[in-house]
Amino acid sequence: MSGKQSVVGTVAGPGEDPNEFVFVTPADKSIKTGEFITYTVSVDGENRSVFARVTNRELIRGLPDGFLADPEVGPDTVAATLGVPTDDTELYRLTATVIGYYDTDMTTFANPRQLPSPGTPLSIAPDQQLETVLPNLGCETDSADVTELDGTAHLGWLLNRPSEATNIHIPIKEFASTHLAILASTGSGKSYTASVLIEEMMRPGSRASLLVFDPHGEYDSLADIQGHDAFQGEDGYDPDVVYYDPERLRVRISELDIGDVMAVLDNPSNRMQERLSTAWRAMQRRESRTWGVDELINEMEARYGDDDASVGALEWRLRRSIERNDLFHPEDNVPLDEIVDPGQCTVLQMDTLDRWNQQLITTVLLRRMYRERLDAVRDRDSEIGHPIFALFEEGHRFAPASGDAPSLDIMRTITSEGRKFGFGLGIISQRPSKIDQDVLSQCGTQISMQIKNPNDQDAIKNSVEAAGEDVLRELPGLTPGQAVVSGDAMNTPALIQVRRRRTEHGAESPDVIEAWREAYDQRQREPAQSESADFGEGDSTGVQSLD
Amino acid sequence: MTESATELDTPDLDSCVRIGSIVSSNSHLDYVVEIFKERDCDRPPELHEREFGQPVFIKKVIDGTEHAVMGVIYDTKLVDPDQGRTGPRLAQDDQAQFTPGYIEERTTLAGVALLGTAVVTDDRTIADPTHRMPRWTLEVDDTVYHCPDEVTVSFHTVDGQIQLAYLDRLIDIAGDLGAEVIVALIDRLRRMLPEDDPNQRVLDVVEQNIEWQAHERRGVV
Ligand SMILES: Nc1ncnc2c1ncn2[C@@H]1O[C@H](COP(=O)(O)OP(=O)(O)OP(=O)(O)O)[C@@H](O)[C@H]1O
Ligand SMILES: [Mg+2]
Repeated sequence: MSGKQSVVGTVAGPGEDPNEFVFVTPADKSIKTGEFITYTVSVDGENRSVFARVTNRELIRGLPDGFLADPEVGPDTVAATLGVPTDDTELYRLTATVIGYYDTDMTTFANPRQLPSPGTPLSIAPDQQLETVLPNLGCETDSADVTELDGTAHLGWLLNRPSEATNIHIPIKEFASTHLAILASTGSGKSYTASVLIEEMMRPGSRASLLVFDPHGEYDSLADIQGHDAFQGEDGYDPDVVYYDPERLRVRISELDIGDVMAVLDNPSNRMQERLSTAWRAMQRRESRTWGVDELINEMEARYGDDDASVGALEWRLRRSIERNDLFHPEDNVPLDEIVDPGQCTVLQMDTLDRWNQQLITTVLLRRMYRERLDAVRDRDSEIGHPIFALFEEGHRFAPASGDAPSLDIMRTITSEGRKFGFGLGIISQRPSKIDQDVLSQCGTQISMQIKNPNDQDAIKNSVEAAGEDVLRELPGLTPGQAVVSGDAMNTPALIQVRRRRTEHGAESPDVIEAWREAYDQRQREPAQSESADFGEGDSTGVQSLD
Repeated sequence: MTESATELDTPDLDSCVRIGSIVSSNSHLDYVVEIFKERDCDRPPELHEREFGQPVFIKKVIDGTEHAVMGVIYDTKLVDPDQGRTGPRLAQDDQAQFTPGYIEERTTLAGVALLGTAVVTDDRTIADPTHRMPRWTLEVDDTVYHCPDEVTVSFHTVDGQIQLAYLDRLIDIAGDLGAEVIVALIDRLRRMLPEDDPNQRVLDVVEQNIEWQAHERRGVV
């Protein structure tokens, strides 16, 4: 505990909830809601610093509203006219919720089960103490130098404190094993925050094996971390960032499940489904893993005859949906050893694929990787011998609440079982209410940023048990880069400012005005004839090209 | 008001109209004044010079320095000793003066609440106004003077800003008519200040507050 802390308020008495108390501060001790305060109580004969979070602040003594009647006349002037002293007259009543004292054996907060008695002096909790006890770092003291710890991600600092005063370093192993959700309206900083985490995970202290499923091409600038000073290890470590563009994203046809195939086909009849299933299973029993639509049709014709109408209709559909889709290939597959490696972040650029293809490639890749992880943990031959972490932009697209995606099953499996097999998922989404509830509620750590939509706020409330009501109340008012971090990676939720990236952010919204002006100039440079000829308007007053 | 600006730029405290004299008090800040009639002085106050809300002052020498104790008429009362009596009156009209301490004739009484004090300067006007509670007690028979509007303004001006810091005390004393006496004072001040004086708007806000509180107290809103 650091020496003398200045007293900022005095406990007045218990609050409404069993864990709440009320205290009073004068105006000059401006304490914001969300601030962490401490007081000392004796628990089992030992003096403990108990932490509490300020949840509400109201003025109990101040100038009456009537003094504000004329916007041109300051309330202080009115007060002076009436001889009312205005210095330090305001008194605030604040409500705080007890978080607990830091139990160094359990390395988390323990509830003292008693409220501070009236008159107990309160202080602002010291920065270093908060840095130690707020995140779930497992420190065995309540005040450590957390920058010394390996395997942590410096995410930002407490929003209520000055910039970089109370830094929040979250344990990477927590969110990488029990999954992560980054939820916020569009433009609030989801991709930015994810990039901050990726940067932290790629540093020499962690050397993670990361995959980013990027449907919008928002992670182009991550490549800057290669060769960047902040990421070099003393042993010569230098992280790799690998981009997989859509041309290299291939799904080997034999990797598809019968369910996947049904999903891509156009309205197959019952009979067609039955025939396809039988043939598909037969193909999958074969030794060869490299067969295509031709082999499949041969198999069906062998079973049902050359002129079977259903087989004919299936052939037409299969050729259209599978053979003519570049994503599917009899042989090519994304080689797992190319996309997963420690110290490597692979960005799967899916921006030119349509939604179906994005879902299919994701489904197949997740299944293959999960299988490999299972094998690795069960000491069988495996292509992936280390834990992996995969981040999904547009998470609701891959695990939709509507159930309408082939990837949903495997996403559910990984979020509920992946912890045992070293397979962590990070779900990023601007529509929490559109994410499958099972998947969302399995994300042990949550970073929630500005969210205004009430449905989405409810979705967070329902699935994020760790974040208390008082913290969630903040969500609508946050600005880009501000976040509530809660869940497994934290001992208690905290409102933070996400730090700036070390590399530049690539997902800036394009400047519309600039784009319009550029496009207009472009148009002006085109030859004018075609336009007037096309419309045959002799007296066109449009601006003509000068060249 | 019309007579004010031209010849009476700095009204002389000694030539102010005498309104009456103190006959009793209800408390330290609350005095009863009997209004002068023809018989009591050369120039008794005219009706508008002793109206409700009229500021007044009483001169007091304290420790060698002359002070003006400032007050305001917050209430009036008529006394008619004959009321309720029947039959012919026993006392003659001019007998009243032989029974001091008793009011035996028709009289107007005024309630005066004290507001604060100021120092009387050599040029017979006031300086150093304060709205703190006057500590000195007035005496029976002390003369109460009509306070000219210019003096009222300077009593209310502290550091260039209008003040009515006695307001809560005045409301306590004046009771039901507290809001009205304050509004009357504010009106008087407003009339004396230039239209574009920033204090005008401050006075508006104060007046609104007072009236609103009075309405609330009276159950109107
Ligand atoms: N921690 C931060 N520090 C500074 N600026 C930030 C921070 N977080 C976000 N921003 C700013 O906000 C902008 C939007 O962030 P970002 O691209 O991450 O939003 P998003 O939530 O991913 O939006 P979308 O849903 O459109 O993908 C960024 O371009 C950046 O300028
Ligand atoms: Mg984004």
